[in-house]
Amino acid sequence: MFLVRNAGKTLPLIGVIVLAVMLIAGIVAIMDSIPLSIRTTYGYSKAYLGVTPRGNNAMTPVLRTQIEQEAPVPLGPVMTCRASDCEVKSIVGPWRFVVLALSQEDMRTYLSRLGGGRVEGRWPSSGAPEAIVSEPVARNLGKRIGDTMLSPTDVNNFSPKPVKIVGIVHMQPWMALMPIEYHRKYHFPPIDLLIVMAKDIRDQDRLDRWAFERFKGQQARVFAYFELEKETDEMFRILYSILNVVIGMLVVVITLMMAMLMNIYQSQRIQEFGLLQALGYTRSILLKRVLAETALVVVGGWIIGLGVAFLALLIVRAVLMEPRAFMLDPGDFKAYSYTIPVPIAIFVAATFTVVQRFRRFDPVGVVERRLV
Amino acid sequence: MIQVDKASLVYNDHGRDVYACRSIDLEVKDGEFLGILGPSGSGKSSLLYLMCGLKTPHEGQVLYRGRVVQAMDEQERASLRLNRFGFVFQYPYLLGYLSALENVLVAQPSGHRRAEAVALLESLGLGDKLHRLPHELSGGEKQRVCIARALLGGREVIFADEPTANLDHRNGVAVVETLVASRGTGSLVMVTHDPTMLEKADRVVTIADGELVQ
Repeated sequence: MFLVRNAGKTLPLIGVIVLAVMLIAGIVAIMDSIPLSIRTTYGYSKAYLGVTPRGNNAMTPVLRTQIEQEAPVPLGPVMTCRASDCEVKSIVGPWRFVVLALSQEDMRTYLSRLGGGRVEGRWPSSGAPEAIVSEPVARNLGKRIGDTMLSPTDVNNFSPKPVKIVGIVHMQPWMALMPIEYHRKYHFPPIDLLIVMAKDIRDQDRLDRWAFERFKGQQARVFAYFELEKETDEMFRILYSILNVVIGMLVVVITLMMAMLMNIYQSQRIQEFGLLQALGYTRSILLKRVLAETALVVVGGWIIGLGVAFLALLIVRAVLMEPRAFMLDPGDFKAYSYTIPVPIAIFVAATFTVVQRFRRFDPVGVVERRLV
Repeated sequence: MIQVDKASLVYNDHGRDVYACRSIDLEVKDGEFLGILGPSGSGKSSLLYLMCGLKTPHEGQVLYRGRVVQAMDEQERASLRLNRFGFVFQYPYLLGYLSALENVLVAQPSGHRRAEAVALLESLGLGDKLHRLPHELSGGEKQRVCIARALLGGREVIFADEPTANLDHRNGVAVVETLVASRGTGSLVMVTHDPTMLEKADRVVTIADGELVQ
């Protein structure tokens, strides 16, 4: 009843909690968007194992034979490819993104392995300076069919001839393909790489881990999704440690501020508490009532804060992120879990101040107007 | 019903003990209107708070129907105030966010006494102001709401601490008459510095410097 009929006092408290929750969830979700972007942008590597020779071009067929003979799982297609790269945009600046050069047949197999999708435009012609990209890549680069993706004058997106986008595949994974014949003729260095697919995609991780161990210390380099995951986790471990400290300090500051606000809030009700205690309400009843109200404000503010944060992140994603194919997960559980200390800390601090106030409380002082 | 037995109440004033009440013997009988008269600072309010259990005597004791009030735990003393005693304070304390009717019902949180509360407010001339908030009521009306709150549930004793202090004489007399008329069979203990407010009292005791003088 007090909360409803004193909205002018209650809403600012709820507002502070909502803003705190929104701030924390927002910071964490934006931070999380970086590893999420890495996992999404390079998520294609979940579908296959990449193997390149080290120091000796002639190793590629040897590696292929070793893999085909020793792989611990049944193998699917093993493709020979070349690779170039382009520059994609990310929330933290430009990243390199692989443009795979494949044969006509392998391009289709590759697309199918990534889940397939509707092709808008056409496939690149054999030997032509043409590319087909997935929709997120096109969106990120701001390119459409007919636009030049790689160019002899663009040092960050170089190809000896202007490479035009002739097809866009509507699919979630990021992908850029060009004809291997064109690559072999014009690009340097002349290194053949291997794309190795497990027959059953569920075995891919096992194959990747085997290859990683098998070729450790040898003239081969292995590109596998689990390594990407590991490197991403390591890269962000320190950053998240710093984030934990920042969020911890933020929670402390917000809690102290809220404890002070709660104290002021309860001070304004001292007359009510004094009167009720004089009339015969026990301290424990009043304490329970106040703590229930505090819990309602704190939990209510937290839940509203989660909702507002979710909506704000949806808007940020729609307005700022999606047009550039940047990743942001408005349903990021971790971002919301970081806000859990907020209501708990505020409730504990508020409880402490209220208990302290009740401990020293003299209702006679209130009804005699000595304390009001 | 209430027996004050050589009760003293001491305040500590910057390290010096000051007697608000000193060795007071007093009895409140069933149905009696007892007036406690005294000038400001004489200890009359302290005596009232001793009698109702809001204060604990440092010496002596207060008994309610033969039971020592100070021996009761907080729960029991609170229950006594909530269910047996009614209070009208000098300032008409009402909860600002509750209507007149809701303020009356505050006195009986566990009971279903809405009809009784409405009847009480109607009998006190506030039938058309049941749903007014305190800031929409005059001082006299607020005090009448406090009286209704004190009477709700048929209390054994009404303790009134200078209930007319903030009212003009006419309103003050009206409040006292209301208290006397509405208390039913309950006792009324009223503290005041104005002897004209105690004309209807069955008995008046005078207190000065914390001691009963007659």
